[in-house]
Amino acid sequence: MTPASEPCQFGRDGALIGMYHGVAGHAPVGMLLCPPLGQMLLRTHRVYRQLASGLAARGIGVLRFDYHGTGDSAGDSLALDWQHCLADIRSAAAELRVRSGCATVVGFGAQLGGSLALAGAATTGFARLILWDPVLDGARHVAELDAGQEALRNDPLHYARPRGVEEAAGQWLGFPVSAQWRAQLAGWRAEPARVPTLILDSRPEPVAGGWSPLAEAGARVLAMPVSTDWSDLHRLEHAILAPDLLRMVGAALEPAA
Amino acid sequence: MMAERAFRFGRARHLVGIAGLPPVARGTVGVIVLNTGLMHRVGPFRLHVDLTRRLNALGYPTLRFDLSTMGDSGASAEAGSREEQIRADVRDAAALLAGHAGCTRFVLVGLCRGAQSAHIACSEAGVAGAVFLDGYIYRTFGFKLRHYLPRLLSPARWHGFLARKLRQAVEPEEVTFGSVYPPREQVRGELVDMLARGLRLCFVYSGGIGEQLNHPRQFRECYGRGVADHPALHMDLLDGTDHTYTLLCDRERLFGHVEGWLLERFPPTG
Repeated sequence: MTPASEPCQFGRDGALIGMYHGVAGHAPVGMLLCPPLGQMLLRTHRVYRQLASGLAARGIGVLRFDYHGTGDSAGDSLALDWQHCLADIRSAAAELRVRSGCATVVGFGAQLGGSLALAGAATTGFARLILWDPVLDGARHVAELDAGQEALRNDPLHYARPRGVEEAAGQWLGFPVSAQWRAQLAGWRAEPARVPTLILDSRPEPVAGGWSPLAEAGARVLAMPVSTDWSDLHRLEHAILAPDLLRMVGAALEPAA
Repeated sequence: MMAERAFRFGRARHLVGIAGLPPVARGTVGVIVLNTGLMHRVGPFRLHVDLTRRLNALGYPTLRFDLSTMGDSGASAEAGSREEQIRADVRDAAALLAGHAGCTRFVLVGLCRGAQSAHIACSEAGVAGAVFLDGYIYRTFGFKLRHYLPRLLSPARWHGFLARKLRQAVEPEEVTFGSVYPPREQVRGELVDMLARGLRLCFVYSGGIGEQLNHPRQFRECYGRGVADHPALHMDLLDGTDHTYTLLCDRERLFGHVEGWLLERFPPTG
């Protein structure tokens, strides 16, 4: 039987909202699911839920949550801030440790959720990382988001007539973007973590630079059988599907659990 | 302290939702926001979050939640049709807001399939109104005239038309975003019934359903004067927007319409 999940509020003034997928009794290992950002947070909601339920059924305590200014958590979308996200990851990991009693916390994240899990690994005390198509080069990602927003503005399937530059300015695919957030993201350059790191690669096309510098530092890379198109403009409201995710994450955690 | 609270609730404790609970006088109408498509309660681009928080600031208690088997909600293990589940889920949502905010009357808000869920749940006692975003609308003779007549006079459009016909042998009769519409007469009859029971209804259509609706007067063509001109019914077409209000300026237009309608038809008590 799949253990029940419970909504929870934690952090300062209960401003962060999450779902804890518990196990009966003490969980030796916990996993924190760091969500991606923007519409990807919404698109991955279902696959995160499935992953959390599946891992909880294997005896792993799992917490998934929304950062300040995202999802259900407090804060305006414009308030998104890199350092705040890292602090939220620390709060969420503390909440997971209290709820599950686990001594070991594994960090998981898709796309920018993977980037944030990686950036916060040392201060959060993650014992290992599982990163699904993490963004390693922030400047390139910003350029892709800018291109996506420009394509959206001119997309005949969204708008009968192209929308004005001003109407689409300061946004990335449905979300407002502050100058600070833009600069923070553009300045992100991944550095290897000092803990075992697994990269799940589902990108449809290889990206220049591969998984550098993580792969050179010893990160293991596993190709997922089904690719994920994170940037398809016409699937902004479609759920991301990853039929092999639970199996691959579960296999990676077996020695730990 | 954050003004929103996360709840697991419902007849089988199977539903998950976030209630916005501003300090209000008893009797203020509560607003319940239903899932858009298969997306969880946050809504596309966080639309449901922004809308409910704005309504909280105006003094309305709100609940955005996941219907049975959607988002974070589970199944109730009851036998019954999807329609019966939706009605029972909305009853549970209303009971939650009644218990925590003292609401006795409720307005349902839904976009696309959420509007269809709201339409179903309007039969529930306590539902006093609904905001249907891209709710039911059917192509009419007028739609076809406005749609096809300009194309008849355009050689480029003829070329495109013939190319499309070669590619797809059969064009669907209705573009309904993947859902099956009930017969128009059934929907019209249900709207007549809602209005007769005193419900206040707000229809807002986006420019994103241009393949289904291409002029404000189509609403009257579709449902007749008895419905379209009823004083308790309001209809707007937000031309130029897309179906899920992706751009911030479009969301602002939408929020302005919904807030204005609520303040006029259901002013906060106290």
